[in-house]
Amino acid sequence: MADVKITNLYKRYGAVEVLKNINLDIRSGEFVAFVGPSGCGKSTLLRCISGLEQISQGTLEIGGRVVNDIGPSQRGIAMVFQSYALYPHKTVYDNMAYSLQLQKLPKDQIDRMVMAAAEKLQLVPYLKRLPKALSGGQRQRVAIGRAIVRNPKVFLFDEPLSNLDAALRVQMRIEIAQLNKNLSDTAMIYVTHDQVEAMTMADKIVVLRDGVVQQVGSPLELYESPQNLFVAKFIGSPEMNFMTGDDARGYKAETVGVRPEHMRIEPSGGVWTGTVMHSENLGADSYIYIDMGGAKPIIIRQEGKSDYRSGQHLSFSPKDDRYHLFDAGGRPMAH
Amino acid sequence: MIRPTTARISLALFVLPALTIYIAFAVLPLALSILMSFFSTKDTAGRVFVGLQNYYYLFTHPVTSARFWNALLNNIEYFAIHLIVEVPIGLLLAGLLTSGLLRRSEGIYRTLLFIPATLSVVIVGFIWRLIINPLWGFVHFPLLGNEMTALPVISLMSVWQYVGIPMIFLYSALLAVPEDIVEAARIDGASNWRIFWGIKFPLIAPQFGLIVILTYIWTFNGFDLIFALNGSAPGPNYSTDILGTLFYRTFFGSSGQVADIDLGATVATVIFTIILVVTAVYFWLVQRRLKTYQI
Amino acid sequence: MTLALSNESATRSTRKSGDGRAWSADRIVVHALLIFFVLLAIGPILIVVLNSFKLTPAIFGGPFDLPTAKTFSVDGYLRVFTRGNFLLNYQNSLIVTVVTIALTIVTATLAAYGLVEYKLGIAPVLGGLFIVGIMLPIRLGTVPILQIMISWNLVDTLSALILVYTAMSIPIAVTLMVAYFRTVPTELKEAARIDGAGEFRTFLIALPVVKPGLAAVATLTMLPVWNDLWFPLVLAPSKSNQTVTLGVQQFVGQFLNDYPALLAALTLGVVPLVVLYIIFSRQFIKGLSQGVGK
Repeated sequence: MADVKITNLYKRYGAVEVLKNINLDIRSGEFVAFVGPSGCGKSTLLRCISGLEQISQGTLEIGGRVVNDIGPSQRGIAMVFQSYALYPHKTVYDNMAYSLQLQKLPKDQIDRMVMAAAEKLQLVPYLKRLPKALSGGQRQRVAIGRAIVRNPKVFLFDEPLSNLDAALRVQMRIEIAQLNKNLSDTAMIYVTHDQVEAMTMADKIVVLRDGVVQQVGSPLELYESPQNLFVAKFIGSPEMNFMTGDDARGYKAETVGVRPEHMRIEPSGGVWTGTVMHSENLGADSYIYIDMGGAKPIIIRQEGKSDYRSGQHLSFSPKDDRYHLFDAGGRPMAH
Repeated sequence: MIRPTTARISLALFVLPALTIYIAFAVLPLALSILMSFFSTKDTAGRVFVGLQNYYYLFTHPVTSARFWNALLNNIEYFAIHLIVEVPIGLLLAGLLTSGLLRRSEGIYRTLLFIPATLSVVIVGFIWRLIINPLWGFVHFPLLGNEMTALPVISLMSVWQYVGIPMIFLYSALLAVPEDIVEAARIDGASNWRIFWGIKFPLIAPQFGLIVILTYIWTFNGFDLIFALNGSAPGPNYSTDILGTLFYRTFFGSSGQVADIDLGATVATVIFTIILVVTAVYFWLVQRRLKTYQI
Repeated sequence: MTLALSNESATRSTRKSGDGRAWSADRIVVHALLIFFVLLAIGPILIVVLNSFKLTPAIFGGPFDLPTAKTFSVDGYLRVFTRGNFLLNYQNSLIVTVVTIALTIVTATLAAYGLVEYKLGIAPVLGGLFIVGIMLPIRLGTVPILQIMISWNLVDTLSALILVYTAMSIPIAVTLMVAYFRTVPTELKEAARIDGAGEFRTFLIALPVVKPGLAAVATLTMLPVWNDLWFPLVLAPSKSNQTVTLGVQQFVGQFLNDYPALLAALTLGVVPLVVLYIIFSRQFIKGLSQGVGK
């Protein structure tokens, strides 16, 4: 039984269609990431699920119930905002207790629920503070705490870590992943533009572009079997290398894609050749940028140090069958 | 970095034009006014220093002080009506406009509602006086001719006109409340009513306080409307006389009163003090509140 | 209730209002209240304007009726133009207001730039002096002001009005422009200095950044100046110098029973600013709300 079921969902602003024919099933306990470039509709989709935006067409079910016309607070969802959206004039305690106070629950029950969440998030010493007296990471925890307290069926995260610095982000990622494990009967939907974040945290990734779902699958599926050019390019860092035209002729395809980590440099006789532009040594790996005459350089990843100098001519080939073929329509071909 | 001397000269040059005009025509006159209140030309040939005598006269001389206290009480009533009617309505309108329930109509309503505020208060007075003239038939009772109703009615005219100002002021304050906080409250289950009073209003409290004190300042500076409608000895029977008209009458004289420049200056100083003291107290008390909710 | 927000200041275009339910209870109440207040706000004005085009009996007979072919008349207006000096009044108001705005903008912008740029000890003191001026009731200094004008031979001149109004507008203008100048990035000014710009040149370079502030100042200054009654009464009362506001007050005082003329005079006093305001309402309100916000 899926916790969130989206059927034929469309979202329009006047004449502009922002989400087109979205169909998704999300099971309780799953951690699903919505990724895509800016403007792809991922945040809009999240907001439709939350009830902050009205769905133009289609059905949204949560826990088996159609919730199209039900208000956000009644859908069994909770949301963590990118800017945390804490109430600046309320203490941490009151921030977390607000939704319960609105439900007019008895005071001791509220107290118990808030304390439970606070303990889980190590917020107990900060309960009496105002948000402005907290650090970014603490504020984020309060935002999460406010969501936990509502005991939601679905957790919605709208780019929650973008405002944190790199180190804190890594730490919070782990905390959120743990949270997912602990709350095994809630679904988590996580919007991010950072595909690395999605790949590391999610069970399932939904790639969106211009309001249309490009592919849904586990991180590994997306990595190994991208269903179109866009997904192939979007997933993976650095980006997949694409050969077209003459360079692809040997494979009888319109485009050949090879990930930097799947390219091997041959002393001679490789499939493609080019000139070294630049190499980066990062310690454990190095990246070599090769000019093939195209607009973008080819990137090859290599373990350890790189001894290649600028101007050097190289030839390279894909390792074994670690390449992807695409036809003129951007669809994958078998090989 | 700029050399200190260049900085000093530059600052002086930049600030001088504005400072000169401001001091010459605003600060200095006020200071001189205050000074004048301590002098008198009444029983002497030239100007003589009389200390607080003018004030004593103003507060205690049978006829004059009666007029003064009357004007003061009227002014308080004038202020009270503005505070009770204009500010809440301004808040209400600002709240309605920012409720999120309007789309394209928000701009139209806002534009239309602000129109009275662009009018001259004088014209406003005349328009309303015409409308409530029993001759015309909208109202059967001569409101402006009745001692009890004249001041409240004129106050409401002023409120009608100026309500756009607190409305715009609080409107822009409400706009500054971050959207996500409101959305978070919606998700938490707050109704529109609760969102307004529990989330938005606390966050605009400083601006609200500012509008209250500005209303105070403006009403104690009031003059134009009442003078336009009722002249410098505004009745009936001085029932619409406020401090501004008292000041004008004292200074320029009227049919029932001889002009007295120094006494006029005294009235002016008293008005200034009344405004200054309350404003200072307000800022002292509220200054702390202002910093609380920086997001 | 799935109701989303429409926000004038929303820079996040993705968060536009969703098409929520068209007729929820809340929405009806909001519209009802707003319509009520709009009628209250505009009604009186419309009644006056409408009736100014009617013959006297029609004014009293049916105040709410639109002028018909039989009742239409511009007699009131004719009398106003012949007996009053409306065109002259408009000219005076225009001169005073425009020159005041210009003078205020120039002096206040210079002063604000100086206060923000030169961080000397005296700068905050001067800034405070200006801020206090916002509350300063300039009218209370009328007695000395009049004396100054007398000694400078400026009594009953538009120049007197201009000087006084500029002094009155400067505090708010300076405070406002200071807020705007604070948003000018230091790097911009430093780059100019490195390129060899002198102080005034640097000021000119910073100027474009604060352009919206200039609009705000113009807006905030215009209304109190145009609509003021006190100073025209005291400093420029003669017929040839009257502003629109004073002109209307005098006219109404004289023609108490000539209703068409009265209504015509009021309409003439009202219409130009209202029309101006409606055309520029967006900038107007933006200027006011930004100004007031800062």
